[in-house]
Amino acid sequence: MSELTLLVLRIGFLLLLWLFVFAIVYALRSDIFGPGTRKPQPAQAGQQATPAPRPAPAPPVPPRSAAPPPVTPSGRKHEKATIHNVSRLVITAGPKEGLEVSLGRDPLTIGRAPDSGLVIRDDYTSTHHAKLLLWNENWMIQDLDSTNGTFLGGKRISSPTQITLGTPIKVGATSFELRR
Amino acid sequence: MTNNSRTRATGAVGGRVAERPAEEFKADTAVLRTMRKLRLPLKLRNRELALLIFACAINSVSILLVQLGATGAIDLDLVYLGAGLSALVLGLHVCLRYVAPQADPLLLPIATVLNGLGVAMIYRIDLAEGVSGWAAASTRQITWSAIAILAAIVIIIVVKNHRVLFRYTYLFGAFAFLLLLLPLVPGIGREVSGARVWIGIGNFVSFQPGEIAKIALAVFFAGYLVRTRDSLSMVGKKFLWMQFPRLRDLGPIIVVWALSMAIIVFQHDMGTALLFFGLFTVMLYVSTGRLSWILIGVGMFGVGAFFAAQTLTYVEGRFRNWLDAFSPTVYDATGGSYQLVQGIFGLAHGGLIGTGLGQGRPELTPLSQSDYIMASLGEELGLAGIFAILGLYLLFVSRGIRIGFRGQDDFGKLLAVGLAFTIALQVFIMVGGVTRVIPLTGLTTPFLAAGGSSLVANWIIVALLLRVSDSIRTGPAQEVSS
Repeated sequence: MSELTLLVLRIGFLLLLWLFVFAIVYALRSDIFGPGTRKPQPAQAGQQATPAPRPAPAPPVPPRSAAPPPVTPSGRKHEKATIHNVSRLVITAGPKEGLEVSLGRDPLTIGRAPDSGLVIRDDYTSTHHAKLLLWNENWMIQDLDSTNGTFLGGKRISSPTQITLGTPIKVGATSFELRR
Repeated sequence: MTNNSRTRATGAVGGRVAERPAEEFKADTAVLRTMRKLRLPLKLRNRELALLIFACAINSVSILLVQLGATGAIDLDLVYLGAGLSALVLGLHVCLRYVAPQADPLLLPIATVLNGLGVAMIYRIDLAEGVSGWAAASTRQITWSAIAILAAIVIIIVVKNHRVLFRYTYLFGAFAFLLLLLPLVPGIGREVSGARVWIGIGNFVSFQPGEIAKIALAVFFAGYLVRTRDSLSMVGKKFLWMQFPRLRDLGPIIVVWALSMAIIVFQHDMGTALLFFGLFTVMLYVSTGRLSWILIGVGMFGVGAFFAAQTLTYVEGRFRNWLDAFSPTVYDATGGSYQLVQGIFGLAHGGLIGTGLGQGRPELTPLSQSDYIMASLGEELGLAGIFAILGLYLLFVSRGIRIGFRGQDDFGKLLAVGLAFTIALQVFIMVGGVTRVIPLTGLTTPFLAAGGSSLVANWIIVALLLRVSDSIRTGPAQEVSS
């Protein structure tokens, strides 16, 4: 075996090793740059000004006015929130204050994940933090094992809990309530 | 439909949603499962297969190059053994296709290449020492690799969901403690080169239970911290710019510290002690998000190590070898820095691109196939090769931490980060020790070094990480989007 062959083999092996390292790095690029960004269809591109990653069950609508109209009648504080008397979710405190989300029959996920129905990004919110869902026509809030908890009327909930109209629900640094 | 399946998925986590008829769920999940199968043509697994074939090719090439370099001829026996190993790894891959189709595709190829490079290097040193058959460390290493990969297959099949481990948190704690105590039991404990960390029956099998204990401890710490994190993170006084915990919340860290110190004093094993204490400190930091824990941990270990260096002769010797390695008296002393300096000479001999596989003299360093395998690889593959290997470790660890980051349940998050961190810390301690960055302590270089217990433990870590990564992608979030 000549010296030259061995030298070529030696360098070849190092190149092979590095090729493997770069093959791995290439394979994980989707983690760094996000999952393969598909170009939106031309038809949809015209409609959507901002790219929505996935169709959320209830897309957030921009605030109707700067100050949300106060619609919490004092006499009905403890009325159960049901499909019949709730139409929207209003954020009362936090970075997105004033934002309203209309509620249909679909459950609404809350968390930091981009595919959540209501995306809240702060240090205290978990990726999948909580979920609003309908049980027998009643709106319930369920904590999804979040790190810092979900608070209904100031109390941390541990199981799916019935929501009452106008009771503040706190997720991370954001508070919201259900209104008719 | 989506509504029900999501309720079910989160209900399984929370365990509280149980007011809907069971059949409805079953039908839904069955439909969803088939839909998911149709939608995803196992892209991740195909990617893994491609990388695995590449990895197996690298492994065979490295063995062939060792033979060419060392003897100038090709002998196919070991290549066949290596092919058997490749077959087992591919078996693990096929197994993943069925039981964990969404697992991370990069962990397995990286571990395969590291394991194969280790086998090639050990084989190279066997050739230099002229041993073959069962006396050769490489044959034993291949056998242990086979056992380790089989163990990984068993783990991935048996542990269907990593949250099962959460239920047995304290059992794992007790198990780890027992494993750590085993080498001290007279009769089965063995003392090898000063450290009492081995067990053996007769002079047949020897095993380092501490390697398995590190996995059990990672499970225990993760489960324990998920349960008690709130009290460790919520309260405390602010001092300087950090929030420090209350005095009584220091209990757990003091217990783990005492345990590490006991390992240093009774088992003469600084590396294991550092590994366990570092693991606990980092998991505390990850679960509470408080920098003060790192400060407290480093401070406590520093104090412990200082007193150990003052009172225990073997620790003192390690420090002297490290600080004054090139002084002739230290170099010539028994238990002196001869080995360390030989390793460094080897690295220097390798230079930038190495002497080539099979063409250096790594066997001059004592224990060049286990503790000093990084020096041996550095001599024959050079700085370029060492950096490729460190790059592979970096990618492996980053995958583990990424899995933890993506995780939805706190236990899985902590477990993945803890397991990845044990690998990172072990690499740091060993590479740092061999290159004279820190005092050398006896641990194993993950996947590379000769040693069965370490291989089995590290492949189990691979299996657990694969399992956690699979449940992340098939978790509740994925069902929402499908």
